Amino acid sequence: MAVHVKALRGVALLCLAAASVAVPGYAGATTLTILQSEPPRSMDPADQGATFTGNVLMPMYEGLVTRGEDLKLHPGLATKWTVSDDGLTWTFDLREGVKFHDGSDFNAESAAKSFHRLMDEKLGLAGAGRLRPLLKTVEAADPKTLKIELTRNYPAFLDLLASPQAMIVSPSEAEKGDLNRVASGTGPFKFVEWSSGDHVLEEVNPDYWGEKPSVDQLKWTWSAEQSVMNMALQTGDADIVNPLPPVFAASIENNPDLKLVTGNGSAVFWVALNVQQKPLDKVEVRQALNYATDRDALVKALLHGYGTPADSPLAPIPPYHLDGPQPYPYDIDKAKALLEKAGVPDGFTMSVAVQEPEANIAEALQGMWAKIGVKLDIRRLESGVWTKAAFNDPEAKKADNLGSVVASWSSGGFNPDQQLRPLYDTSSWAPSGANLGFYSSKELDDLLDTAASTAEPAKRKELYDQAQKIVNTDAPMVLLYVTKDLVGVKKGVDGVWLIPGGDIRATYATKSSN
Amino acid sequence: MKTYIARKLLALPLIVLGVSLLVFLAIRMLPGDPARMMAGPEAPEAAVEAMRVRLGLGQPLFMQYFGFVVHAIQGDFGISIRSNLPVASEIANRFPYTFALALTSYAMAILIGVPAGMAAAVFRNRWPDQIVMLLAIAGASVANFWLALMAMNYFAVELHWLPLLGAGSWKHYILPTIALGTLPTALIARMTRSSMIEVLSQDFIRTARAKGLGSFAIYRKHALRNALIPIVTIVGLNFGSIMGGAVVTESVFNWPGIGRLLVDSVRYRDYPMIEGVTLLAVVSVVVVNFLAEMAIAAINPRIRLT
Repeated sequence: MAVHVKALRGVALLCLAAASVAVPGYAGATTLTILQSEPPRSMDPADQGATFTGNVLMPMYEGLVTRGEDLKLHPGLATKWTVSDDGLTWTFDLREGVKFHDGSDFNAESAAKSFHRLMDEKLGLAGAGRLRPLLKTVEAADPKTLKIELTRNYPAFLDLLASPQAMIVSPSEAEKGDLNRVASGTGPFKFVEWSSGDHVLEEVNPDYWGEKPSVDQLKWTWSAEQSVMNMALQTGDADIVNPLPPVFAASIENNPDLKLVTGNGSAVFWVALNVQQKPLDKVEVRQALNYATDRDALVKALLHGYGTPADSPLAPIPPYHLDGPQPYPYDIDKAKALLEKAGVPDGFTMSVAVQEPEANIAEALQGMWAKIGVKLDIRRLESGVWTKAAFNDPEAKKADNLGSVVASWSSGGFNPDQQLRPLYDTSSWAPSGANLGFYSSKELDDLLDTAASTAEPAKRKELYDQAQKIVNTDAPMVLLYVTKDLVGVKKGVDGVWLIPGGDIRATYATKSSN
Repeated sequence: MKTYIARKLLALPLIVLGVSLLVFLAIRMLPGDPARMMAGPEAPEAAVEAMRVRLGLGQPLFMQYFGFVVHAIQGDFGISIRSNLPVASEIANRFPYTFALALTSYAMAILIGVPAGMAAAVFRNRWPDQIVMLLAIAGASVANFWLALMAMNYFAVELHWLPLLGAGSWKHYILPTIALGTLPTALIARMTRSSMIEVLSQDFIRTARAKGLGSFAIYRKHALRNALIPIVTIVGLNFGSIMGGAVVTESVFNWPGIGRLLVDSVRYRDYPMIEGVTLLAVVSVVVVNFLAEMAIAAINPRIRLT
């Protein structure tokens, strides 16, 4: 027996030793720790579409163009570019003397290979969806000139090139098939390790061609527990917490050791109404639900004030958002009158599918809509189950008797096409897109097509204004609110900035020693 | 005894095979489509279909299961859908953390629960007994995530005594151990108390007293040894709930073990990873129960396993 006890003790000690995570580092290194709400999905920027994964990857990768702190596009790996008159041919002059983290040279050949990965249907990269339909050919005209032919005129192409999915990856690493677990780009930080249960570590790339970062290391960690995110900021386990749950925002603002960084969010929250279901097929009914929604109360109660009531399908980010009065101010009487006009004066019962963490939205609406006789039957679903239910096709939704879905959409706010087309275009009916209520308007579809290929800013703005008016009038959704992006930062950490929609840039952040 | 062990060992693969089938089918009955989750909400249906093929989900269920078993026997549990890492190596990296936390929790449960239960039995119906039983009821009733958050807030945020997240040093073990170990501590304290009370009323204890042995020697040598059997049983049976508790505790403390891995995997419908982690958990529960039975036989020569 004694022997067994000793053996067991040996095993225990071994396990304890194995279970002590040592983070590589060196004395005096400044490490900036960033805690986010979910783990990264891949180290391959093109094989994911998650905001919080993009944040982890962006310090290590660069695209042809890059979005700066002024939120405008600047030269990245391309120094300048031209576009042909028909908008179909883009020519990029590439930066010279740039090396990938694995030591190989960056040139037009490697840039082209990076785009070929996106175009490769067999590879089936998860983040290729936006770019693949646009790219016709991508080739190196000479070692420092990249030529891209598009399938159609798409003036917002440069915006797409600044997204994580369009980052240029090392072709040698990609050929090895390692990119999903080992990042290799040209960025100011380079990949050190991805300990999947704990962190991603990045260190300064000494061979970086541009400005060197101030901190030596970036360490990305994650926790889904809201209160843990808050505590981690207080204890110093994290220097930056993204996104900070709104419930803690006020206490962070009042704490002299911490700072709250806020930004215009681009996440629009909404309830998609199944316009094929009675009585939601009547526009009056949909408008009635809109009038019966007290958006100010939602912002106050659910977002603790850190948000704006939605008044258009686009987030309130210039220049495309349609400014003007709220089309559906809270008005119970008007709502009741509209229901009466639609022939349902006593209201009706409607089901709503909502993800567990967003169930409070449905509960608030349940109370509000009860006042006009609409009984909301709430289905609280785990996210995987919700995805299945929300993206069902019209037939399956009918069988499921699903009347509405609570969801949100965030596209950064720079390209209205990415917000409007997936949610409202006829071609985007679920499961092909996120038009979850099967709304269809020929007029809107045409407008979106024209706007997407219109380069002239004023004309483009006018077209998108019209599109927003149509959506507002037809009310295929109850638009709820737009969240503000909230990030908690420790005092002494500066230079963190946000891109609307949850993107955080900490590459050139500074951290004072105390 | 030997035939008993042999029979148990032979049954093990059958149990594992049965459980693997249950797990395999249960996961696939969950609504939710890993291909859609991977491809993202904007992906056209064709892209989702391509992803389904890439993930090997296009084959009939039977073929998928058959492939899974054939590979699993060779130690290959497939590739994680989410991280693209081999499931086996990912679990091998993370299981030691969970195992270490289970050990420290059991250590806490035994080192605190047994003496506390003994004290309660010896001072039966007096104040030490009442305090221990009150704490034991509280400890058995409290939800471990609530306890975890309270302990984090007090010891890490307010007092700055202990680290909040991760598994870097011995200090990191303290709070998760408290969160995970409280329930077994309470159970063991209660079990020790009732089992000691029963033993202390028996004739051989009176005999020991009569021959002039000191109280402490009686409790330690005679009473405890006999009271140990139910305690070991609890330890064995409770291992399943330790594994279950690890899911919550590890998520709260960012503990890089298989509990947190399981939560992340379920969220993304990472079938191979869920299968691998669940199978490992089942096997370890079966093995620990088996070891507990062996230990009981070793402690009590009257028990003959046949």
